[in-house]
Amino acid sequence: MATAIPTWYRPLIAWRGVMVALTLTATIGVLLRRGIVLDGPIRWTLLLALAGATVGTVHALRATRDRRHAGRFAGFAVDFLTAVILAFIALNRMGMFVGLDAVGEAFNRSFGWGLIVVLGWFISGLAGRAGGSQRALQTAARWVMIGGLVVLALSMGLIPGLVEFARRAIAPSVLPLLILAVTAGWFARLQWSEPAGRFFATTQRQAETMDGWLFVAPNLLGFLAFFAGPLIVSLFISFTEWDGLTDATFVGLAHYSALLSDGLFLRSLRNIAVFGLFAIPLAVIPALFLAALLNSKIPGVRFFRAIYFLPSIAGVVGVTLIWKQLFNSTIGYLNFMILEATELINTVFGTGLEAAQPQWISDPAIALTAVIILFVWQQIGFNTVLFVAGMQGIDKTLYEAAQIDGAGPWKQFINITVPSLRATTFFVVATTTILALQLFNEPYILQSPSPAAGPGNATLTPVVYLVQNAFQEFQIGYASAVAWALFVLIFVVTLLYFRRSGEDGVLST
Amino acid sequence: MTKRLILLLTVLAMVAAACGSDSTTTTDAPATTQAPQTTEAPATTQAPDTTDTTVEAMDDVTLRWMTRPDNPEEAAVYGSISDQLDGSLDGISLVYEPGSNEGAGYQQTLLTNLSAGTAPDVFWIPGTDIADFASRGVILDLRQYADATGHNDADFYPGPMAHLTTELDTGQPGNALWGLPRDVSTFALYVNLDLIAEAGAPNPVELEANGEWTWEKFQEVVDAVAALGGEVKGYGQSAWWGPYGAWLNASGGGFFTDDRTACGLDSAESIAGLSALRDLYSGESVIPYGEDPEGPFRAGAVGMFQNGRWATPGIRTVDFNWDVVGLPSGPAGPGNWLFWGAYVVNADTADPEAAWSLVQALTQADVQAQISELGANIPSRVSQDALDAFLGFTPPENNQAFLDGLANDPTTEGPLWAGSWPEFVGLMDGAIQAVVTGERDIADFEANICSETAAAFSG
Repeated sequence: MATAIPTWYRPLIAWRGVMVALTLTATIGVLLRRGIVLDGPIRWTLLLALAGATVGTVHALRATRDRRHAGRFAGFAVDFLTAVILAFIALNRMGMFVGLDAVGEAFNRSFGWGLIVVLGWFISGLAGRAGGSQRALQTAARWVMIGGLVVLALSMGLIPGLVEFARRAIAPSVLPLLILAVTAGWFARLQWSEPAGRFFATTQRQAETMDGWLFVAPNLLGFLAFFAGPLIVSLFISFTEWDGLTDATFVGLAHYSALLSDGLFLRSLRNIAVFGLFAIPLAVIPALFLAALLNSKIPGVRFFRAIYFLPSIAGVVGVTLIWKQLFNSTIGYLNFMILEATELINTVFGTGLEAAQPQWISDPAIALTAVIILFVWQQIGFNTVLFVAGMQGIDKTLYEAAQIDGAGPWKQFINITVPSLRATTFFVVATTTILALQLFNEPYILQSPSPAAGPGNATLTPVVYLVQNAFQEFQIGYASAVAWALFVLIFVVTLLYFRRSGEDGVLST
Repeated sequence: MTKRLILLLTVLAMVAAACGSDSTTTTDAPATTQAPQTTEAPATTQAPDTTDTTVEAMDDVTLRWMTRPDNPEEAAVYGSISDQLDGSLDGISLVYEPGSNEGAGYQQTLLTNLSAGTAPDVFWIPGTDIADFASRGVILDLRQYADATGHNDADFYPGPMAHLTTELDTGQPGNALWGLPRDVSTFALYVNLDLIAEAGAPNPVELEANGEWTWEKFQEVVDAVAALGGEVKGYGQSAWWGPYGAWLNASGGGFFTDDRTACGLDSAESIAGLSALRDLYSGESVIPYGEDPEGPFRAGAVGMFQNGRWATPGIRTVDFNWDVVGLPSGPAGPGNWLFWGAYVVNADTADPEAAWSLVQALTQADVQAQISELGANIPSRVSQDALDAFLGFTPPENNQAFLDGLANDPTTEGPLWAGSWPEFVGLMDGAIQAVVTGERDIADFEANICSETAAAFSG
């Protein structure tokens, strides 16, 4: 039996047509630089998004006309996104997001009334629990709460604020956007409703899929806006010559080709490879043994777990500044301890050793070593905690069985603990590797006020090089290419870990 | 029902509070503005003169401004100054932004804001960035507004003003006006008087007063202090362009040719200065090149430490007798630098006249005096009152050393109008460090450095 055509169907089709016209017009407008002035990669990114929206609206129109669920779904998605994006733009034009800063100040000013509201709510709740005998108190407290809330709102400027809100909302640059946003929101709500589901013959599974998308929408939109979006924009920027201030010029793969012969970039890659070669094993292997120690039942073990974890939660700037003092070749404690240890050895053994006094930060031969020491010190505690957590998940009966079979602690560690920790080890190694390849803060602060690249570029890392290009030399395009080259490096290394771990069956455990 | 009412009222209250902020309300400025007072500073910390900083008949305008503070105390002073000016600039409301935060430095924040079109109306940039910002059209040429308000370039030190008035097409000082200097600074030697006395070395402050403060005497003091042994060293400087540049300047050389269109590092004078620096570092008497000497100096292990006025607040915490002395004279004098940064106006500001008024107000002598009192800056305005006030901000006792640095023909730091300063510095830093630490032969440096840095020049 054919479903009767609901009254909203024709308006919906008309709205779909309007959306196609709007997205197409906006796409052409941006393409021809009409209406709004946008330059550089932002313009091209917007163009791409609008072209995608046009395709989406056309698809939604056709499928809606054919009364297919795909039309309902695509239309809902387009309307939902349109409502959110246009509302965001409208509120931004109204200055609401800048104004949000004032919310805190307004609350501060009206803090006393806020306390009265809380007090009313608290007493009302208590009186409610007491039952009928305190009904009058509950009612009085509730009215105090409501009254306090009204005064709070008024003292925050409710009336003038609403007038101002209305004044800004009817501004010519805002009102059309708000009308479109509300209309799109209304149609999105309509297509999400059960009558629309019945009309488009949506199955239970399809309805659940729509609900699921709606649930993840806030997170997904945040991810797209603040992570994936910038990522794609940076990829685009890497194909341009752009200083961040003026128009970008498309240069294709020129930056990537230049990277291959850029001595400084290659030096940064060499440095990070050497760094990783030492820093990763040193931050992982000792952590494993330390975790074994901290997983035992020795007294005060919880205290030591906290102590070892401290470096990883301490601010990297503060920690690095302390290490900078320790590394100082003139007054640093490291060289002082070397001096004292050498004197002790000479005294005890009657030798005439001369104490080495390394210039940890300024000697090109060992400047990277100082960074490795600092990185390992910071990272080892966190890795230890991860290993301890992994060890606590190992089945205790395995150890009992091994003990019955006569295995000692070392054999138990090698044959039970280490294999059982493969998944944890994979995670620890992968995250440590990623952190190592993104090294920036440590050399940057250790070397200051000298250039972060260090003596003879000994501590030049890809991220340091990226920052130098982007924010000191205004070469955002080239810096983006460095960022993507680093991304590819990290991706390949992680992929190799995954493949190796997959072959070992780690990821299925 | 009650819950919905509460929710509705809460949302409305937040909307109202948000709308209550006028931070985005900007309206057109009138055609005429009145000049702020441009000369004569009061003694120290009193509020800016409100009578002469008003802008006539200006409608409500909100300006955002940003400058880089060196520490939280300085940020608080800038915030306080913003509040004072907010009350004194008629029709202009101010929002101060320190710029940097835990996640991003000042330069990153500024560049990101500029890229996004959300940069403040007025912001501070280092003197070396003026050309980059001006040539990219990011900052306004303020000359028309300056002319309308009776501004006089001569109220400020000529070195920074030469760069701030440089024409884009000629690369030479002309009639442009890219901003006004916030403050200036020069190098001095921070001296540990206790250590110098213990070493039996002559007091550099007295040597300077007697006109005997030369490279030779400097070396004597360095060696005498280092002879105390242990961890004690005679001298330390950081490994960036300022400290080593002073040695080149003092020999009569420099980074560039006189017209700043080509590399001057291979001149005989520059090589002589670099040789002197290399010789100094070839011994054991100094903090190794590349190590930050400030920590050892504050620990009382260094006799002399070269740095700018900005190091003063940190040095004030030490518990030994200290003072400052000018840089020792080389063949061509002390060779000091004049460091500076400027307030500039965003080219996209909706209210250029109001922004110019703010720039003028921020560079008044009394405002500069408030900043200077913290110890990190020297007023950029040529005003005897401002300088007198600066001299009173002790310790150090010998504040005059910094002013002498300004008076004794310093080389003004500045951008490359025909090239890229950051690129030049990036290439130069490594090469100089290699020479000073003995990894590169100075003859090789002399033969190749200018071809190595040629890419930094666009001319």
